[in-house]
Amino acid sequence: MLKITNIHKKFNNDEVLKGIDVTVEQGDVVVILGRSGSGKTTLLRCINFLEKADRGYMEFAGYSIDFSNVAHSQINAIRKKTAFVFQNYNLFNNKNVLENVTEGLIIGRGMEKKQAIEIAKKALDKVGLSDRYDYYPSQLSGGQQQRVGIARAIAVSPEVILLDEPTSALDPELVGEVLTVLKRLAKEGMTMVVVTHEMQFAKEVASHVIFMEGGVIVEEGTPKDIFSNPKEERTRKFLQRILPEAEYII
Amino acid sequence: MELDYQFLIKTFFLILKGIPTTLKITAISLVLASPLAFGMALAKIYDIKYLKKIVVVYVSFMRGTPIVLQILVVYSLLPSLLNVIVKQLGLKIDVFAFNPIMYAYIIFTLSSAAILSEVFRAALLGVKHGQLEAGLSIGMSHVQTYIRIIIPQALVIALPSLCNATVNLIKNTSLAFIMSVQDITAIGKIQASYGYNYIESYADVFVVYIVVCTLIQLLFNIAEKYCGTFRQRLKT
Repeated sequence: MLKITNIHKKFNNDEVLKGIDVTVEQGDVVVILGRSGSGKTTLLRCINFLEKADRGYMEFAGYSIDFSNVAHSQINAIRKKTAFVFQNYNLFNNKNVLENVTEGLIIGRGMEKKQAIEIAKKALDKVGLSDRYDYYPSQLSGGQQQRVGIARAIAVSPEVILLDEPTSALDPELVGEVLTVLKRLAKEGMTMVVVTHEMQFAKEVASHVIFMEGGVIVEEGTPKDIFSNPKEERTRKFLQRILPEAEYII
Repeated sequence: MELDYQFLIKTFFLILKGIPTTLKITAISLVLASPLAFGMALAKIYDIKYLKKIVVVYVSFMRGTPIVLQILVVYSLLPSLLNVIVKQLGLKIDVFAFNPIMYAYIIFTLSSAAILSEVFRAALLGVKHGQLEAGLSIGMSHVQTYIRIIIPQALVIALPSLCNATVNLIKNTSLAFIMSVQDITAIGKIQASYGYNYIESYADVFVVYIVVCTLIQLLFNIAEKYCGTFRQRLKT
């Protein structure tokens, strides 16, 4: 359903993406791993044009896109079929929890207010925040804020949710509540592309794991392939560094 | 030296009649300057070619020259300049019959625009950029996200500086007396010169400005509380 071919991106003279191919099928949970600076976040941001890729192709939701020549209407169309969960939540600080979720429905999609509120409440119930509708982001913990971020993303019923290190900014004891929500979403068949450092989550939930370094995909496969039997030396080194118990797995 | 209390009181009420003029110049200049300033702030933030350079030069020029000088230049040059243009076009307008308050509007709009552009720029940069991306990511346009998310928050950040700018402007409009505009200061000065009661008259002017500026500051405090409800911390 989402197919990216040969995507390139340069920041000034620094080539961050050096020709990457990614395919995501309906219901997949694709986890992208890699050191910081490996280009994984940029890749994610290029998919819904928060960053403009220099060249490459994308097929998604019936659209064929040439990154070197994108129409504004195509960008809008793609954005309406994707949703993004940010590392720093990026909630609208002047809107309460419920309004944060309805905003994209009422303003972005022209939905009627009553229907939007209904959908927003359903989304917030799903992330366990049914008692926080009229709170402002400044009154919520990091974990709660990120769950609002997730509710905001699922409310617009996107075909794919892009998650950029959704737990990296959270205190360790708050990571669990966010991961629980994400696991539930995965079980319900939501298509997700996740950049994360949560190896346990990747092992349990991912249907496909991609390991990136220096702007290219070093290795990809099922979680079992990557975690138990990595073929590339670079993947092995990365896993050893990030997993203290690596020797037991490999 | 004896104070002439009767004069003090009589003049006080006369000076009060200058308040509408002072406030009119302030309000109209702010209203006209705001969109200009907002545009200039965006030109700087988004680094728009040429326009940014023009804005930088303009702002440093307006900030770097005394407002008295700006008044003298505009008030003595603009009418003659306009007169030439009007004559060239063959129009029958008497430029010199314009109400001098028009020139006050022009000068204070131009100088406020420069100051407000920096106030707005700082305020817009104070709103986390991620919220714009978040708006875009859920299908809102740039304009929609600015109107509904960024500007309301920027306004709250801007209010204290905006209050500063407004109070400064009120005080600066006192210079309009140079252009024979009948504002608070001008009335005070004229009254004083009749019988050389400078102390009484200036004391009145002093009090009126303090009262007006204090009220404006109170209004801004209320506005800040009202607009900033989202900044409250924990619900009790």
